[in-house]
Amino acid sequence: MSFFFQELVNGLTTGALYALVALGFSMVYGVLKLLNFAHGDLYMVGAFVGYFVIQWFGGPQALHIPVPLLVTIMFVLAAVLVGFLGVAIERFAYRPLRDAPRIAPLITAIGISFFLENAALLLFGAQFRVYNTPDFISFSSGIQIGSVSIDAVQIMVLVMGLLLMVGLRLLVIRTRLGKQMRAVASDREAAEMLGINVNFTIAATFFLGSALAGVAGVMAGLLFNQVTNTIGFIAGLKAFTAAVVGGIGSLPGAMLGGLLIGIAESFITGYISSTYTNLLVFCLLIAVMLVRPTGLLGRPQLRKV
Amino acid sequence: MSDEALPPPGPEHADLGAPQLAGPQVGADEWVARQAQRHEHLPSWLGAGQRAAERAGWWPRLALAAVAGLLLPVLGLGGFQLQVGIDALVIALLAVGLNIVVGSAGMLDLGYVAFFGFGAYGFALLSSAKIGTNGIHLSSVLSIPVVMIATGALGLLVGLPSRRLSGDYLAIVTLFFGEAFVEFTNNVSPGVLGGPNGIVGVDTIHAFGVQVSSNKAYYFLLVIVLVVTMAVLRLLDTSRTGRAWRAVREDPLAAAAMTIPVDRVKLMAFAFGATVAGLAGTIFAAQQISVFPTDFDTPILIIIYAGLILGGAGSIAGAATGALVVMVIYDGLLRSPTDSGYLFYGLILLALIAKLRPWRRLALVLAVTAALGFAAHAIASAIAASWVAGGPQSTGLIADALRDWVIVPANPQTAGNVGFVLLVCLLIALVQLKGGWRTILLVPTLYVASFTWETVLSPNPSVTRQLMIGAILIVMMNARPQGLLGTRRVEVAQ
Amino acid sequence: MSAPGQPVLSLSRLSLAFGGLRALSELDLTVGDREIVSLIGPNGAGKSTVFNVVTGIYEPSGGDVRFAGQSIAGRAPHVIAQLGIARTFQSLRLFMNMSVLENVIAATYGHTGATPPESVLRLPRARREEREARELAADVLSFFGQRLAGYRWDQPAYSLSYANRRRLEIARALATRPTLLLLDEPAAGMNPAETHEVTELIGRLRDERKVAICVIEHDMHVVAGCSDRVVALDHGVKIAEGDFDAVANHPAVVEAYMGRDPEALAESG
Repeated sequence: MSFFFQELVNGLTTGALYALVALGFSMVYGVLKLLNFAHGDLYMVGAFVGYFVIQWFGGPQALHIPVPLLVTIMFVLAAVLVGFLGVAIERFAYRPLRDAPRIAPLITAIGISFFLENAALLLFGAQFRVYNTPDFISFSSGIQIGSVSIDAVQIMVLVMGLLLMVGLRLLVIRTRLGKQMRAVASDREAAEMLGINVNFTIAATFFLGSALAGVAGVMAGLLFNQVTNTIGFIAGLKAFTAAVVGGIGSLPGAMLGGLLIGIAESFITGYISSTYTNLLVFCLLIAVMLVRPTGLLGRPQLRKV
Repeated sequence: MSDEALPPPGPEHADLGAPQLAGPQVGADEWVARQAQRHEHLPSWLGAGQRAAERAGWWPRLALAAVAGLLLPVLGLGGFQLQVGIDALVIALLAVGLNIVVGSAGMLDLGYVAFFGFGAYGFALLSSAKIGTNGIHLSSVLSIPVVMIATGALGLLVGLPSRRLSGDYLAIVTLFFGEAFVEFTNNVSPGVLGGPNGIVGVDTIHAFGVQVSSNKAYYFLLVIVLVVTMAVLRLLDTSRTGRAWRAVREDPLAAAAMTIPVDRVKLMAFAFGATVAGLAGTIFAAQQISVFPTDFDTPILIIIYAGLILGGAGSIAGAATGALVVMVIYDGLLRSPTDSGYLFYGLILLALIAKLRPWRRLALVLAVTAALGFAAHAIASAIAASWVAGGPQSTGLIADALRDWVIVPANPQTAGNVGFVLLVCLLIALVQLKGGWRTILLVPTLYVASFTWETVLSPNPSVTRQLMIGAILIVMMNARPQGLLGTRRVEVAQ
Repeated sequence: MSAPGQPVLSLSRLSLAFGGLRALSELDLTVGDREIVSLIGPNGAGKSTVFNVVTGIYEPSGGDVRFAGQSIAGRAPHVIAQLGIARTFQSLRLFMNMSVLENVIAATYGHTGATPPESVLRLPRARREEREARELAADVLSFFGQRLAGYRWDQPAYSLSYANRRRLEIARALATRPTLLLLDEPAAGMNPAETHEVTELIGRLRDERKVAICVIEHDMHVVAGCSDRVVALDHGVKIAEGDFDAVANHPAVVEAYMGRDPEALAESG
């Protein structure tokens, strides 16, 4: 039974990760109706940013600064840099295509994804970069509930993930920016005519979504300890799955989807075998899409004839 | 009248005065709309050739291309080049098949490469020692049609979601199907499918005692198969099926109201596309005499799309041409640094010639770039010898020209990385600027491009060519979404 | 073909609800053979919804739709089109990037049967059907005189003027060999001269093409000029039926359009 709970905890942790990436993905889809294939690669860039921050401050064995400060810098820098990268991508690659048929930005996004992955390969090489987490995060080694152990990184991921999700929800519901985002997502032209600065709102959405992906990337580095240029692809696919299963465009749906996928993955790996994990997750997605294309919490789009 | 005065059509120029120069629009007379397109032709005799080719008619053009293709080995194409040709032809066949789904019927299938893999694996299983004690080793006259039909049936299956799912959702489902296929072949039934090690020992194409085993033979076979496939698809396109596909692409609701069974038509597109991919798979498996899961992963899909987008989705000739061009460059970049250097600088020069007119302006830009380059190089070598210690990657003509021009430090990696990022920023800026400023910025951009090439791009050809593929997708969609050979479409928001 | 005396289209107690919104409530409507029936009503009355239900885009929540005697409720749009109901759209839905000729020939799909192999090999049946489709297209396009003739055939649909695009959509609908033609606001956006032409066109369509026609229109000149019978809807309910004068003066109709002031009727004419 404790195995079950252990897998549950693990699943929730990776689920939180997927949820964060899925959130950003869903936000962008909401305002632009664009499936941003490059989103997973933003997560990869975030992970690299975290890695280089560690290296800058001396590397995992010989840090100049205390760990909590290091981790904060990693998260903040990743959020900001990846956020701006996302804004730049939107500005230069997607904005000219706002009125083009849907296939155009989709294919551009695929191109950007491919480009980012290979740019990272060119700049950083193919070898895995290692964070070395267990050795250097030594302010606490975690907690023990019965025979279920949760280590410090997992706690941090869960707590941060929760805070970010709640924070985002508050932002979307309570703030003016959130209202603008929802307006633009609903009807862009009408929003523009009502005086909302659509370009700024979309840029802000991209910034937030990309920043979330960047933060998730750092978390991934801390959790899994390895960073390379291809981690974005699979993570991106899982984030898609999560966003779509939960209902694309719906933020609570993305969170729910992420957690579900994380837990499903964990249980499949634990109880069946890790070789089939990806395959079964993909099949799960296909099944959900066929049965309920709008996802668990999504609403079908109405169209006027 | 100077051609420079007329801006090319495109989203960034839509705000300029005369609306008829912005390309096809609803309500705008067609001759006027095509006026801008007339100015897109290359200048002088090259343009005349283009126009003559356009007037000649589809079938003569196909015949000409077929003859040219068949003559190439006769004229001396051999060895490595033949393999490049074979790879290119396989991708061209795949692009032509994908064009049915994406170009004619307007649906985005991101799992298309799985049909290719299915066809290859199907042929491998039927033509190797895998099934039964000694294997089936079916004659190709039987195995190829069987595999094609099976792949077509799979296409029908995968196309079923298209009835209820719109473009985005369909793209996701097909993408996941493609991923599932790779996972499947990697992990399921390793005894039969071989897992990551795939299936080896696949027969070559054989029937009635005749074996197709040499690369030259496969090349000829592929040219013939490609030409025949293009012909069949052209005949289909100009028939009621093709009209139905295009009507469904334009407006599925209206098509249904006009007696067209939309679901059935969409399924047909999937089935036909899959069948062509299956065919390509069989030939691929026979030529490689092996199949591996990695042969059918996402990078291949992206290459097919790059070829289709470059050539023009919706145009059969465009699909084939775009794919051939992409693959020739893709494989060509893997050659010696000298050859890939020719390719790189040659393409840049070609782009400049096509886009920068009149000739005076082009000459001026090249002259200033050269001058500044030499100056920069001289300054750099005066500062520190290690700054210019590295030399150009190529040998021969280009290297001699570049040695004193481009700065290549002894340790190129870091400097090259900076150059790469700088180059991307410069290119983005270049797109945003217009007119005189753009020409001015062209000078440092050219220099940085050469710098980046010599320091990091040329020494890492496998990555560089992938970057190129990504760049093709991004640039084409923004600059010329109809591809090189496609016609601009008018999209009405629905 | 419907039996003599039997209506071509018959809606009985037709209802359609979108969740809580009742788009159509217990609607009874008939269109007789070669009759021209106009459907009027303020915006949001449910007129286009009637068309959408009849052509199979929506499935009714209650009641029945009968075409030439057989029930077509819930059948797929392309099947209904093949049975003989054609329509035009309020906001034009042409195949923009296809040529004028292709737009019309594409609509013959449901009445042809050449399979892909036959098409590819250009077997006799395929060749014959292509020829017949072209002849039908020429016939249908000639209905509009010189407007859609000659060099226009190869022009892409998007290059046509607005009025010509409306005409093309009607031509395309005619190519499906309908018994019933549904025209959704055929005079929308037209000047008085073009409007007059449309009014005559509708009469000619009925006389020369032998179709029953149901027209949705806001322009009362058109309605007055071509209708055999007028039906008025409001909020998904039929509020009046009869000839033009009877309906136009009906208090419920006036109220629906004008509000509760009968004096304002004088302007609407």
